[in-house]
Formats: sequence, C-alpha cells, structure tokens
Amino acid sequence: MSDDSGSDRRAMLRLTACALGGGIAAAVGVPVVRMLADPASKITVTGPSAPIDLGPLDRLKIGADPVSVPVVAKEIRDGWNAVQQVVLGSAYLTRTSAGDCTALSSVCPHLACTIGWDPGKRHYVCPCHESLFDPSGERVTGPSERGLDPLPVTIKDGRIYLTWTRYRMGGSKREPV
Amino acid sequence: MGLLQELRTALQVRLTASATPGQVPGGPSLAYVLGAVVTFFLVLSAVTGLALSFFYAPSVTDAWASVAYLEDQVTWGWLVRGLHLHGASALVIACGLHLAQTAWLGAYRRPRELTWFAGLGLMLLVLGFTITGFVLRWDQAGYWASKVEVGIAAATPVVGDLVQKLAQGGNDYGNLTLTRFHALHVGLLPALTLGLVGAHVWLARRHGVTPRRRQGAGASPWWPAQTVRNLVAVALAFAALLAVVVSTGGAGLEAPADPTAAYDARPLWYFRWLFLLRKLMGPWETVAALIIPGLVLGFLVAMPLLDRTPAQGQGSPRRRRLVLATFFALCAGITALTAASLARDAGDAEHGKQVAKAEAQATRARRLARTYGVPPAGGLAVYQTVPMWRGRALWETQCKDCHQGKDRKGPLIEAGYGSRAWIARFFADPGGDEFYGRNKVAKSEGAMKPVELTGEPLAEMVELVYAESGAADADRGRAQKALPAFEEQCSDCHSREEGVSSSGPALARRGSLDHLVQFIGNPTAPIHLGEAAEMPRFDKDLSMVDREALAQYLLWLRTATAADVAGLEPL
Ligand code: FES
Repeated sequence: MSDDSGSDRRAMLRLTACALGGGIAAAVGVPVVRMLADPASKITVTGPSAPIDLGPLDRLKIGADPVSVPVVAKEIRDGWNAVQQVVLGSAYLTRTSAGDCTALSSVCPHLACTIGWDPGKRHYVCPCHESLFDPSGERVTGPSERGLDPLPVTIKDGRIYLTWTRYRMGGSKREPV
Repeated sequence: MGLLQELRTALQVRLTASATPGQVPGGPSLAYVLGAVVTFFLVLSAVTGLALSFFYAPSVTDAWASVAYLEDQVTWGWLVRGLHLHGASALVIACGLHLAQTAWLGAYRRPRELTWFAGLGLMLLVLGFTITGFVLRWDQAGYWASKVEVGIAAATPVVGDLVQKLAQGGNDYGNLTLTRFHALHVGLLPALTLGLVGAHVWLARRHGVTPRRRQGAGASPWWPAQTVRNLVAVALAFAALLAVVVSTGGAGLEAPADPTAAYDARPLWYFRWLFLLRKLMGPWETVAALIIPGLVLGFLVAMPLLDRTPAQGQGSPRRRRLVLATFFALCAGITALTAASLARDAGDAEHGKQVAKAEAQATRARRLARTYGVPPAGGLAVYQTVPMWRGRALWETQCKDCHQGKDRKGPLIEAGYGSRAWIARFFADPGGDEFYGRNKVAKSEGAMKPVELTGEPLAEMVELVYAESGAADADRGRAQKALPAFEEQCSDCHSREEGVSSSGPALARRGSLDHLVQFIGNPTAPIHLGEAAEMPRFDKDLSMVDREALAQYLLWLRTATAADVAGLEPL
C-alpha cells in the first residue's frame, strides 16, 4: 500500500518534471523561433517599384546603335539600411520612333552574364557562351533559350522612365522574379 | 619525485567520487536548486545569444543599426534581447547567491576546492560576457561604459598600454574593437565556459551536494524529486525575469555611439560598487579599480586554503568564523556600495537631466531609423535622414543670418517664398522690407518700381513670372495673356529669353531648380543681380550637390505654410 502511493507519487513527480521542463523550454523557444522566422514574412530587401528616370528621350537617335545606360535606384532598403543611388544594372535603349524607345535588359537570359553590343556585326553577344541576339533582342544562336528580356519603359515629358524588372534565369519562358 | 607524488595524491582525493552519483544525501531539498538555476540562465543566454546573432552585424557602421532593427522592427526581437540582457543580470544574481550559499555551507573545503575554483572561474567568465557584450550594441551607453573599462585597464602599470591596444584592437575604438569583442563574446568565452561548466558540474556530481547540518538519514535518487524542485525554482526565476523584461520594455537601446559627444557614462549595475569606489577614492582610483577587485578575488580563491576545517560532519560555520565574517562583510560592502551608487544617481538632478536628454535622443534616433532606414555611413548618419536634411543644414549655416529674422541683411525667405502671393506682394512693393528694402539696390537709380496693374491683368502677370519656375500648377494660357503688358512695362529691364541678360535680372526659368542653383552659385552674374548683388557667390564653397539641396529646400518653401515649417523634424 505504501509502495503503491510511493510509486504514484513518483509518477506524479515525473509528470510534473516533464510538464515544468516542457513549459520552460516552450516559454524560451516560442519567442526565439518567432523572432528567427520574422524575416520570412517580410520584404527585407526592397527593389525600386517606381519607374526610374533614364534621362531625355532625345539622347537617342532613330536608327542609331542601342545605347547602354546604367539603371540607378534612388533608394534601396536592405534590412536596417537605406542606401541611396544604388546601381541596379544597365539597360540597352533603342529609339524606335519620334516618341518612343525600347529597353532590353543587359542580363543574358542563359546564365545571367552581361551581354554586349557588337557595332560591326550589329547584334548583341554574350561573352560567356556566345548567345547571339538581333537588334530587337530576338535570339539568333547560342545556348540561351529565349531572346533578351524587354524592360517596360514609358515616356513622360520627353524623358524615359524605366521599370526595373528581373526575370528568372534560363528556360524559354519569361517569368519575373 | 616527492612533490609529484604529493600532487598526485592531492588530485586523487579531489577527483575521486565521494558521493554516489544520482543520489541526494539526506533527501531532496530546495536548498540544492541554485546550481540548476545558474545552469538554466547560462543556457538561456546561449540560446537567446545565438538567436540574436542571426540579426547582428559587428561593424561600426552596422552594429547600432542592426540592433535597432532587431529591437524595433523584428517581431519579439525586443523580448529575446531583453531576455538576453536581463538574463545576464539574473545570471549574475544567481551566481552570487550560489557563491554565498556555498561559502555559508563551507562547501569550498576539501575535497571540493576544485569545484570552488571552477565556480569562481565561471563567475569571472560571466562578468567577461557582460563586459564584451555591452559594447556590441554600439550605442552611447555601451560605447562609453566600455571605453571607461578599457581606460581602467590601460591604467595598469607597465602592461596597461599593451592591454588597452589588445583589448580595443588598435589605437582607438573602431571596427576592430567590435570584431574583437564580438569574437570573444560569441566564440572564445562560450568555449571556455563550456569547459568550466563541464568540470564544475562533473566535480559537483562526483562529490554530491554538501550535506546540510541537520541532515536526515539516507539518500534518495535525484530524479525526479530533486529535479522537480530544481525546475520549480527555475520556473519561478524565469517568471521573475520575464516580468522584469516585460515591465522594462526589454533591453533598451540608446542613441548611436557618438565619439565626439559628452556622455555621462554608467557601468552595468553589477560594476556599480567599483564605480562608486573609484569616485570615493579620488586620486587613488587606480587602487579602487584594480587592486581592490584583485584583493577580493584573491580572498575568494584563498578561502579553501585559509579555512582548512574538515568538511564532513562538523561543518559548523562557527569554526570558520573569521573567513566567513570576511566573506559576508565583503558581500555587505559590495551591496551597500551598489545601493549607494544607485541612490546617488537617483538624487542627482543634473544626472537625471542627462538621462532624460539621452532618452529623448534615443527615441528620436530609433524613430528615424525605423522610418527612413540607416544610411550605410552608420548609426550617426541616421540624423541626416531627416527630409531635406542637407538643404536645411546648409540653410542654417549659410543663409539664415541674412534671410531670416529681425537682423537679416537681405530679402526675407520663409514659407511661401516664390509663390503667387509672394510674387504679387513683390510687384506691389519691390523695395519693401520683405524684399530689397534692406539692400542698396532698392535705393539705387535703377531700382524696380511697383507694377501698376490690378485685377486680372495683375494675376496674369503674376502667372507669367510664376510659370517661369516650371511649377506643375502654372496656368500657361493665362500667363500668355500678360505678354503685351510685359513688353510694355517690363521688357526694358528684364529679358525672358534664356541666356540673355538685361539691366535687371533675367526672368527665364526664374524660380526653377536650375535657376536657384545658378543664382546661389553666383548672384553677381550679369544674368542675375549683376553688380548690384550684395549676396556673395557660393560656387566656391558649396558643391553642385549642396546648392541643389539648398534649392530643393527653397522650392519646398514655395508651397509650404508657416505650420509646415514649424512642423519640420528638428535637425
Ligand atoms: S550566360 Fe550568356 S550565353 Fe551563357
């Protein structure tokens, strides 16, 4: 009988110990895990969503070679930092008509090297694996499965505004990331 | 050989188990819980510390910013950081109690000397953690407290200079200080602690708990009866910690460290007694800072050697009166000094003011960091994220004296400057006090006369001048209607053609950003005021970027009201 109550007591104590231990571990663990998971639900690095001013349309001449221009974001947020004037990359601009132009991303759709323009042969060429693209960005030869990625531009008050967009690398389909 | 033999025997005695592992002699008791509480707080520090390191960046430019981000923008970041900082305080308290109890029970004596030494080593490591940890946040409090501590170390005779350079990683506080303290805090000290805790716990288990004086017969297993007592104590201690963290709002964070600011530094509370001692000792502060802590530590280490009464059985504190009396006198002294130091600050109005000022600045810096982000230049640059900071700061230093207030020398510049209403007022009285009234040009022969227009024709003329600024709301149709009147009344002195100067200032693009930048650069240019200008040229002193920042501010004033200006974030 006393044995019975003794083992009952021990069982109770064991249960209490586990409950207490578990409770303490949870009280510490829950805030810690919640904090560690916080960045997963946040935009920690912002891109510029507003169109970026690339200067006057008149810098481009109809029929001339495409011009590579740097794309500079006014501000990027990265965690605690706010960084001004961040160079995002570059774009090739071509004047298509009196009031319009097109922009092509200079990131090769194959494996993301930076493409160049060959003025002699009048095509874009990627130095990494020699994908070739015609002046409108269509793929000519090489490992890239699609043409160069166009970037949306609008013209306002004679100035070029570009919306910076990145596309998934590789593949024939063009998906924004 | 004899000495070696002796050492071996001595070690053997200390390392041989004198208790049955897993058994509590005399049965479970709440008297044995402190070791578990200390262990818990150590683990808590490790877990929360590891979690914090997911967010922390140890560099002068990022340290404060990353902590501010964690504190103010990461969910429960303040809570985890609060548990880490106040947990360290709890750890210090638990260590102190554990030490005092061990002393009281005489548990430092043979065969437990090594356990005692390991415990003292752990206590030092804990203090090392707090010293290396406090600077990592790189705010005013941590930065200055740490500078003082390293300064004290630098006062050590002979090696002081070297110690200082090693501690701060070079000749001054900077990036290498942070990387160093960070490496110590998260790498070296934890490794040493792990080793010592291992030794301490292993030894403690080998020798079992020190039996209390009135000891019941027999022993009972540690698990689960003693474990439950330990856990109850841990749970209570943790609940108390949580209450402190929540009620204080966490660890807090002051404004970013500013090496140029005067700051009334205070150490962490457990170093308060030394802080006060130093103050009281005046010219003998080196004694207070180095020799007294050294003596205290030396005494603690020597306790098992001074008190050689046998451990088992006759553990009456009376037999060790002198050692214990010294020990508890030291404890009482330290406690009294700590309390006195805190009381002094509480009664010091001047210090209170400093604290309030520091708090206000911290609130502001953190709000700016939250709203605008911290520039890559570092925590201090957060003050420059205030909208139009650059332009406004230049305004304060370069322009204000002449363009604002009673004693100004030139035209008044304030909210509404360059607006339609402002232009209309100017037309009515160009030589008035608001405009060129205080300048020679108003009294000269070529001074502009009031524009003699009223009603709609006046409004059209205002619009014509206003439209030159390129303002988006300018009504160009209406402006055009003023052209004949302009030709008739104004064009003799004012050109509207870009790049063409006349006897009076040219009006082409007047009030636009470019125009303001050029005007500020050189008001004496023929196209602007020419020789009549009394304002100096700024193109030598101010860069293009500076002048543009100023011009942006002036443009902002055009549509601002006096309330807008008053509501601007202070610089
Ligand atoms: S990355 Fe351009 S071809 Fe491979």
